[in-house]
Amino acid sequence: MKSVFITFGQSLNRSVLDLLDKLEIRGFTRWEETQGRGSESGEPHYGTHAYPSKNSSIITITTPEKAQALLEKLRRLNEQIGEQGLSAFVWDIEDVI
Amino acid sequence: MKIYETSVKKPISTILIFVGVIVLGLFSFQRLSVDLYPDMDIPYLSILTTYDGASASDIEQNITKTLESSLNTVQNLKKITSKSQENMSIITLEFEWGSNLDEASNDVRDVLGRIETYLPDGADKPLIVKFSSSMMPVLFMFATGDESYEGLYKLLDEKVANPLNRINGVGAVNISGAPQREVQVNVDPQKLEAYHITVEQIGQIIAQENRNIPAGSMDIGSERLSLRTQAEFVESSELKDIVVTNYNGREIKIRDIANVVDTVKKQTVEETLNGQRSVNISVQKMSGANSVEICNAVKKMLPEIEKNLPPDVHLGIFFDTSTFIQNSINSLSETVLLAFVFVILVVLFFLGRWRATIIICLTIPVSLISAFIYLMFTGGTLNIISLSSLSIAIGMVVDDAIVVLENITKHLERKARPIDAAVYGTNEVWLAVIAATMTVVAVFLPLTMVGGLAGIMFKQLGWIVTIVIVVSAVSAFTLTPMLSARMLKFKNTHQYKGIGVVFKPIDQFLNKLDNGYAVLLNWVVTHKRMSISASILIFVASIFLFSQVPTDFMPQQDNGRLEVSIELPVNYNLEQTTTFAHQLEGRFKELVPELKYISVSSGVDDQGGFSALFGNSGVNQATLGLILVDRELRKRSQFEIADILREEVAKYPAVSKYSVGSGEGGGFGGGNTVDVKVYGFDFDATTKVAKELQEKISKVPGAREVSISRENMRTEMHVNFDREKLAAFGMNTATAATFVHNRINGLLCSLFREDGEEYDIYVRYDEQYRTSLEDIQNIVLMNSSGQTVKLSEVATISEDFAPPVIEREDRQRVVTVSAALGKGVALSDVANGAREIIKKMDKPAGVDVAIAGSVEDQEESFQDLFTLLMLIILLVYIVMATQFESFSKPLIIMVSVLFAFSGVFLALWLTNTSLSLIALIGAIMLVGVVVKNGIVIVDFTNLQRERGMSMLEAVVTAGKSRLRPVLMTSLTTILGMLPLALGTGEGSELWQPMGIAVIGGLTFSTLLTLLIVPVLYASLNTSATKKERKDNTIEIE
Repeated sequence: MKSVFITFGQSLNRSVLDLLDKLEIRGFTRWEETQGRGSESGEPHYGTHAYPSKNSSIITITTPEKAQALLEKLRRLNEQIGEQGLSAFVWDIEDVI
Repeated sequence: MKIYETSVKKPISTILIFVGVIVLGLFSFQRLSVDLYPDMDIPYLSILTTYDGASASDIEQNITKTLESSLNTVQNLKKITSKSQENMSIITLEFEWGSNLDEASNDVRDVLGRIETYLPDGADKPLIVKFSSSMMPVLFMFATGDESYEGLYKLLDEKVANPLNRINGVGAVNISGAPQREVQVNVDPQKLEAYHITVEQIGQIIAQENRNIPAGSMDIGSERLSLRTQAEFVESSELKDIVVTNYNGREIKIRDIANVVDTVKKQTVEETLNGQRSVNISVQKMSGANSVEICNAVKKMLPEIEKNLPPDVHLGIFFDTSTFIQNSINSLSETVLLAFVFVILVVLFFLGRWRATIIICLTIPVSLISAFIYLMFTGGTLNIISLSSLSIAIGMVVDDAIVVLENITKHLERKARPIDAAVYGTNEVWLAVIAATMTVVAVFLPLTMVGGLAGIMFKQLGWIVTIVIVVSAVSAFTLTPMLSARMLKFKNTHQYKGIGVVFKPIDQFLNKLDNGYAVLLNWVVTHKRMSISASILIFVASIFLFSQVPTDFMPQQDNGRLEVSIELPVNYNLEQTTTFAHQLEGRFKELVPELKYISVSSGVDDQGGFSALFGNSGVNQATLGLILVDRELRKRSQFEIADILREEVAKYPAVSKYSVGSGEGGGFGGGNTVDVKVYGFDFDATTKVAKELQEKISKVPGAREVSISRENMRTEMHVNFDREKLAAFGMNTATAATFVHNRINGLLCSLFREDGEEYDIYVRYDEQYRTSLEDIQNIVLMNSSGQTVKLSEVATISEDFAPPVIEREDRQRVVTVSAALGKGVALSDVANGAREIIKKMDKPAGVDVAIAGSVEDQEESFQDLFTLLMLIILLVYIVMATQFESFSKPLIIMVSVLFAFSGVFLALWLTNTSLSLIALIGAIMLVGVVVKNGIVIVDFTNLQRERGMSMLEAVVTAGKSRLRPVLMTSLTTILGMLPLALGTGEGSELWQPMGIAVIGGLTFSTLLTLLIVPVLYASLNTSATKKERKDNTIEIE
């Protein structure tokens, strides 16, 4: 099993959820409001006066194939929206109940 | 779920709620009536008391003084003025603006109830009249008729006045100048003496002959019949055959001793229109009724009425006050629509996208229409204040929507789904939008709390702008995101496709403008000292301008109507007055080719009552009414023509007093005058001071027709009875005086009835026997035992002078010296001149001189407004300080307010306009718009600083990126006001000063705000941030 952690500009919520549906990834956990800033460039998302935008984050645990496919789709989405907004991280899951 | 999220997800509900608001608004709009100003009835009550036979000074002593001292305790009373004239006392109570007149009249009634017993026995019960500006006639009509002239009064009364009176809101319909029927028994005193009979006896006999008396009822068979004796005259000629006495066995009939004529009353007033004999019909409205509605209803009814009149009688409308109101409101509505178009164009110009423009501009109708709902529920009207509130609000209502839409677009550019972009885009900015709305509310809501006259003017403005702005903010959270979610599509940069190609050069121009401004800003901020000193210099110069701009109360309006009143020497009779007036009419016709109608009214209508309050008060007075053609059709303004007429009237030595006014009568905007009041008991001393003032004020440049309110002393003949002789003869003064009254004035002995109408029957000496002093001396008195004596044996007759009217104010005798203003002269010009004169003058002991009139009103309202301005500035400061959490930053923004005022004065000075109440309204409205610009810049600079930019970088970046929104806000307002400032259309002189003030102030302050606010921000904050940094950093080594 693989875990995929996706964090993105709040307004991409619907697009990301659509991807999960399309790939039939059922289980996920979502934080509607998270804060963060990119490692290299991009505007911080703090929900403050100076940086009013906010992030949302989703973590999903799925099969390696689906995780692979999801990452592929996310990459394409990220390319479309340019430098801002979406990051995804994948790591192995040792056990689930 | 948050409101914007709900509205995005439930588009149908959102749309329908707004459709509901629009429908309700349009429904209200249809029901709103039109008026010139908000309902601001002058809070006056008048108390009329008649006391027949008393002279002006008797009235003053016995009635006016007694009433005044008790009435003085009535609550909310501001001023008490009175006029004591022959037979009548008129006391006018002026209350504070906004007082409840119903309560006041109850208080007055209580006071009168207490005091009534102290009044002289012969005095009638005091009458309370709610006298207000609304009682001035709203419609003047005339009727002409050659063949039917004699019977015109009855005809007009029945066929015109009665139906018109039934119209809802019509207070009274007055007919003046129409001949009224009267049956006269003109006796020959010599014959009376010969037959040993008196006027009183004849009167008594006529009264007894002219009666129908019920005589009970009787049963005849099974029927019960009532019995009446019928003796009333059927024809007036029956009078002639009435037997009055027997003399040597011969019956003496009235025809033997008198001349019976069924004729019209001797006229004391003569009216003509365009030289033709006419009858005036004036329609008064009820207090609080709507002039426009009434005039429309009357006009609608006229064709119907004319059908019922004989063919030679013609009705026409001489002057219709509603036309002016209607035209003013129409041209103002046009300017509001024009402003709407301008705003759309400006938004399209800056955004270059039509979908976005539509979304933003939809906010305008939605929020403006909500104002109509407010007006409807509070019983308001569409008037100058409410409409100009709308035109100032138009530019502001789009601001919130623009901010929201911009942020949504930003999200769309990041490939967000439209619905998400709308929800999250709004989520990010809604707090900032509320803060901006709060600032505007902080400016306009306090306007609803001012007192006095200014309060009445501002109340609507305050509420309308507040409501409209709040609704626009709500629509920006709901309608705008919802529409954006449905209508906006992602576009990276402008494609200039199709018609969008037009936007390409505009976009390039705007980019160039942005860059140019950035360069300029960079220079200015790096040369702080120079820019700050330059702006201080500009501000100081504008303060100097402030002293140069004259002040005024209300702009005078050109309603195409002039009224010239003249007073001729007191010995002029009606004929002489009429001849003179017509001579003047002829000259006026030559001098004023712009004339549409000219009416001449000479003498006084003796119906008494209300005509005593307005109009002429003697046969030696005449009023010429001039109606000019529409403003667009003439080159000269009403004020220029007034100056020409003044010059002409002044040429005639016979005219002892004259005035040329705009004929508005009461209310506002009509005649602004500078009044100087001379208080003091001594007639001679006060008159002397008044004359001196008159002479000196006439020399003040700009003052016209300086007049004294006190009328010239009138000659009177006094009959002084010798009581001892009278007593020896067995008579008292009262009966003797009645004898004189009945012979000269006439004895009203009975009424002649015909066709349900009653006409007076008068017995008096034939006219030829009451023309000289001797005739009076020869009056024969008869005592109860039938002995006769000539008046000259029991009384002496002397000539004397008496003041016809004694005026008082605040329980002191007063004379008013008032000066009208020439064309383009401001109130303060003449007022300051008068002040100087008063200061230098020597006043005798017991005489006080004070300035009053429009100057007093102006000073009161200006004072109220300045207090208000302070309150507004404080509130705005508080709102801004909480928003920025800073004491100093709001001060920076306040600087732009100062420059707005500099701009106002500059514009007024350049256009040679005076600072009137209306201009001041404009200046106060500016505070809201200007502060908003400042906030946008400071807020965005703060943002850049928080993002870690250096001061210079932050200031320039923020300035550059906020240039477009600031220009947009300012341009929409400036262009919206442009039609007002250009002042085309009827009545435009009223609001022109507002347009000029707003445009001047906003242009000037926008330009300076764009430069000076960043400079001040940079200089104030450099030191502050340095200190803050030092305090908050922990050095880790």
